[in-house]
Amino acid sequence: MKVLLVEDNESVAGFVRKGLSEAGHVVDHANNGRDGMFLAASESYDGIIMDRMLPGGIDGLGIIGALRKSGNTTPILILSALSDVDERIRGLQSGGDDYLVKPFAFGELLARLDALVRRSHATDTETTLALDDLSLDLLSRKVTRGGKTLNLKPREFKLLEYLMRHANQVVTRTMLLENVWDYHFDPQTNVVDVHISRLRQQVDGGAERPLLKTIRNAGYMLTADG
Amino acid sequence: MARVLRLSAFRLAIAYILLSVVVLGVLTVPLRYAWRQNIEDARNELIKEDAQSLSDILERHGIEALAAVIDARVARQRVGNLIYSLSNAKSIRLAGNLSALPRGALETPGIFEWAVEVNGRPVEAMLMHASLPGGYDLLVGRDTARFARVEAFFVYSLAGAGGVILLVAVIGGLAIRRSLLAELHGINQTASAIVRGDLSRRLPVSGGTDELETLAQTLNRMLDQIEHLVQGVRNVSNAIAHDLRTPLAELRARLEMLLVTKPSAEETRLEIESAVADVDRVIGIFNALLRLAQIETGARRSGFVQLDLAEVACEAVDFYQPVAELRGIALTCTCDPGIVIAGDTLLLSQAIGNLIDNALKYVQKNGAIDVGAVICGDTVRVTVADNGPGIPSDEMPKVSERFYRGDQSRGTPGVGLGLSLVAAVATLHRGGLELTDNRPGLRATLVLSRRG
Repeated sequence: MKVLLVEDNESVAGFVRKGLSEAGHVVDHANNGRDGMFLAASESYDGIIMDRMLPGGIDGLGIIGALRKSGNTTPILILSALSDVDERIRGLQSGGDDYLVKPFAFGELLARLDALVRRSHATDTETTLALDDLSLDLLSRKVTRGGKTLNLKPREFKLLEYLMRHANQVVTRTMLLENVWDYHFDPQTNVVDVHISRLRQQVDGGAERPLLKTIRNAGYMLTADG
Repeated sequence: MARVLRLSAFRLAIAYILLSVVVLGVLTVPLRYAWRQNIEDARNELIKEDAQSLSDILERHGIEALAAVIDARVARQRVGNLIYSLSNAKSIRLAGNLSALPRGALETPGIFEWAVEVNGRPVEAMLMHASLPGGYDLLVGRDTARFARVEAFFVYSLAGAGGVILLVAVIGGLAIRRSLLAELHGINQTASAIVRGDLSRRLPVSGGTDELETLAQTLNRMLDQIEHLVQGVRNVSNAIAHDLRTPLAELRARLEMLLVTKPSAEETRLEIESAVADVDRVIGIFNALLRLAQIETGARRSGFVQLDLAEVACEAVDFYQPVAELRGIALTCTCDPGIVIAGDTLLLSQAIGNLIDNALKYVQKNGAIDVGAVICGDTVRVTVADNGPGIPSDEMPKVSERFYRGDQSRGTPGVGLGLSLVAAVATLHRGGLELTDNRPGLRATLVLSRRG
């Protein structure tokens, strides 16, 4: 995919750019607000990574506001050193789609960007999610694996739903905390891992091909490949 | 400081003295004025009457008789304060004891004070001139020395009284200054010691109820608070230094080893992964501190909403349930339903989560943790009770301090900010964190105001 990176810190920009290129993405980079605004408005991108504080007269939130006003719906991931929950809310209210606090792990950035871009392509009207022989009915809240019904608790259902909506993508622990539990803080323990391993017992227990995989140093992925 | 105190005590003494003098003046000036007026009026009256009677003698008995009367009076007087002079139109002395006519005395009307000579000795006298029929001039006077003695006596006694008052005032002022300085000296010395860095010093208190005593007690309470805060800051700095230094030291060692040993690619990758984990630990500590600071400033109250506390607590229980099951611990939620308060959902989730997380760390296998919430008057009490080892009572007050880690917690994961955050969240909700003995185990109670 084609990504615009608006970031004035050279070392962060270099690191993100290199990482994205290695993951097979095309990256345009602007190191100030003016150039970023120009590129975002004139070119077509799959996703934009936007730093909040920028030189060049217009800051990240300003660019996002202007883009949204002109009808541009490109998914935007905001990068910021401001970690307040209030700042995060302000960022999302201005039209950003996700908010990542610096310093961040590259895996986190990539996973969130992936999730954003694919979500913008996906449709929310499906009533059944399916992957290989695993299927999840959103209306009857029934989950089956190879025809066998799985007995999931509500939170496990929500966790599996999120993983299935992001099938074949890396999902980080923080993304799960934020989207499944709505916890925007770090509980400092491996509780998410325990939840995943319980879900894995239910979903993959007894199955020939495991679907729920742990991605080292990044998170988890629900996939039928490999 | 000592200088100013000394000066102010000195000023106090001076003011005391001045006040005494003013009081004395207010008393004596009218007294003296009245006294003087009275005496002088009486004296002048005497002189006038004397002159009149002598003038009558001249009219009735002639000049010879008058001269005889005057000479007789002068000769007869005992005290020696009578002054007379009778002269004719040619200024030739006919009678009296005045050695010479003072120049200009005959031209001046009324009664005046003159320096004259009586029988060859100089005296100060009050003289009155009267022109008698036949061109005779009569001078009648009184030596003022006699009155001067009385007046001197008055002035001396006044001065004496003033002196006594002044002396008493000076002694009193000095005594006040001394006692004030003695009391202030203690305060001053203690303050100086504190300025030099000895924060454990306290002002001397004798248990009385006077103003200085009350002041000293208040100052001591202030010093307690300051010492507590300074101690807190010092602890935090030490703890930050320690907690950050450990992962940083490990990180540095790891990176330097990589430089020196040039290991295989796979090994290098593993080392770098560990290095990133070290950095994440440092970032974690920073984030926790920032979050704590943010909560403690109270800025988050703007995010308060009406929320169901039972729901928040049960969700937290739900979140930790798999961990508890994995470790064979019974984690239960016994909350009264529908406890609605104004609060911050995220912070309360994290606070309750921290308490559960803490309990999970210390409770043994087959232990039990119960999370309960009840309404208690104007407050809501959320309790996380376990039957683990608990906290020794002497450590109880310290555990919610930043970075405090009890002896039992050494070697367990965590940075020691968990309970600080819980306490800060409770404070933000106008409440507090209570830690009590659950016999056995720990009972942590989050007290929250229902009104938010």
